[in-house]
Amino acid sequence: MIWIGDTLVSAGEAGVYGERVISGHRVWDPYRSKLSALSHLGKGVELSGSMRVLYLGAAHGTTVSHVSDYVEVVYAVEMAPRPMQDLLEVAGRRKNIIPIMADAAHPEGYAPIVEEVDLIFQDVASPVQADIAIRNRIFLSPDGYLILVVKTRSIDTAARPEDVQGGVGEAIRPHYTILDSTWLLPYHRDHVAFICKR
Amino acid sequence: MMHSYWFGDVEEGGCTRAEGGLDALVDRLNSISTSPEDIIPPDWRMARECGAVKDRAEYLERLREICLRLARDRMTESFQGRDTELIQMVMALEGMDQAVNQLAERLADWYRILHPEKGWKYRPRDSRKVLARIGEDAGGSMKEMLDGILRLREIRTRLAREIGDRAFVILPNCARLVGGLVAARIMTLAGGLTGLSRLPASSIQVLGARGALFSHLTRGTPPPKHGIIYQHLRVHNAPRGARGKVARVLAGRLAIAARIDYYRGVLDPGFIEGADRMIESARGRR
Repeated sequence: MIWIGDTLVSAGEAGVYGERVISGHRVWDPYRSKLSALSHLGKGVELSGSMRVLYLGAAHGTTVSHVSDYVEVVYAVEMAPRPMQDLLEVAGRRKNIIPIMADAAHPEGYAPIVEEVDLIFQDVASPVQADIAIRNRIFLSPDGYLILVVKTRSIDTAARPEDVQGGVGEAIRPHYTILDSTWLLPYHRDHVAFICKR
Repeated sequence: MMHSYWFGDVEEGGCTRAEGGLDALVDRLNSISTSPEDIIPPDWRMARECGAVKDRAEYLERLREICLRLARDRMTESFQGRDTELIQMVMALEGMDQAVNQLAERLADWYRILHPEKGWKYRPRDSRKVLARIGEDAGGSMKEMLDGILRLREIRTRLAREIGDRAFVILPNCARLVGGLVAARIMTLAGGLTGLSRLPASSIQVLGARGALFSHLTRGTPPPKHGIIYQHLRVHNAPRGARGKVARVLAGRLAIAARIDYYRGVLDPGFIEGADRMIESARGRR
């Protein structure tokens, strides 16, 4: 990926969400994007031009736009209509974002659309985040990666975040090989990222 | 076994290309149903075999075009739900309330330093009367600001009335139980009529008491008895000792009312009568 000094950037049409631009490249802010935070922490997966990505929880398409700068195609799944409005605007101006309005907990809804991908990036605020990761495994190529960002607060507000981390780890372990699990501090509070192989 | 994809149906023997233009393909995607156990992701080369596309670039281009349309259709459809506009109106009302209160407070502070001899003690605390008093001797931008606030307040009142009226149409049973405005607010907190109809009564009881609920869960403070339904006179005016109980019974009836509103959408007088009786009897006993 492209770094200018200590700053992660991506190459593409700027002005998606008022992001800063340095020497013609769009700054990818780790405080706004969990995927960027992961790269800044030296973890995560190197994005490349031949990659196909399934992005669950695409929201307003800010992170999606950076991912699309790097990879061949992003299948961007989002359930809520309001963020979808923004996502469609982003997708309309880029050739390699396939927007899908569907519930990531029910992948059969986009089964006729999404091909085998090299990376699943999941960032949904749902109490069943682990289940969603498991159900979408079917789309992952045999040597593909899953990055699962868990917002511990949306699984259980009262439990200690570390306990939630343990619970999610247990739930996905039978289905994925967990390579690493890391907190996104100082960029995002109460968020933990699991990096897994199929 | 046959697998259906956006570009066609794939079977052992080969692939049948889906015919038709953009509209037909979008309709097709809406009608395909795959069971979760049978998912096999499509391979773009299948589409080439089908004769649906000639290369990878065209595959992505076509798929993107179809998905943009499909997503736009689905988004528009969900915006057309009967509750979506009501939610925006409730949020606008809340925004206006905040703005009016904040501006009125600013104005009162401003007025005070110009009239050090006039304190607010031993005088009506009612903000309407406070503003009326400022109106008597304000001028210039202060007067203009005052007019703005008064105008905003009129709009607010009309909007509140309109929300109440609409709630009686969209949530007839809930509105009968707690009044249109409170019903609309409860629905907004639940994220819509669908969300409300799927909420358990215990959650409806504490909607709007988020702070108290989380401090109960994390720090063990006493649990909240009621959230926004406290705003309704039935709970508000109940004897102190009975409030929790009234709130609980009312929330129970509201949960059912929401389901009737969602699935049937018409007023059920028999249900309302029974619910009223239960709530009244909850008020009576301690």
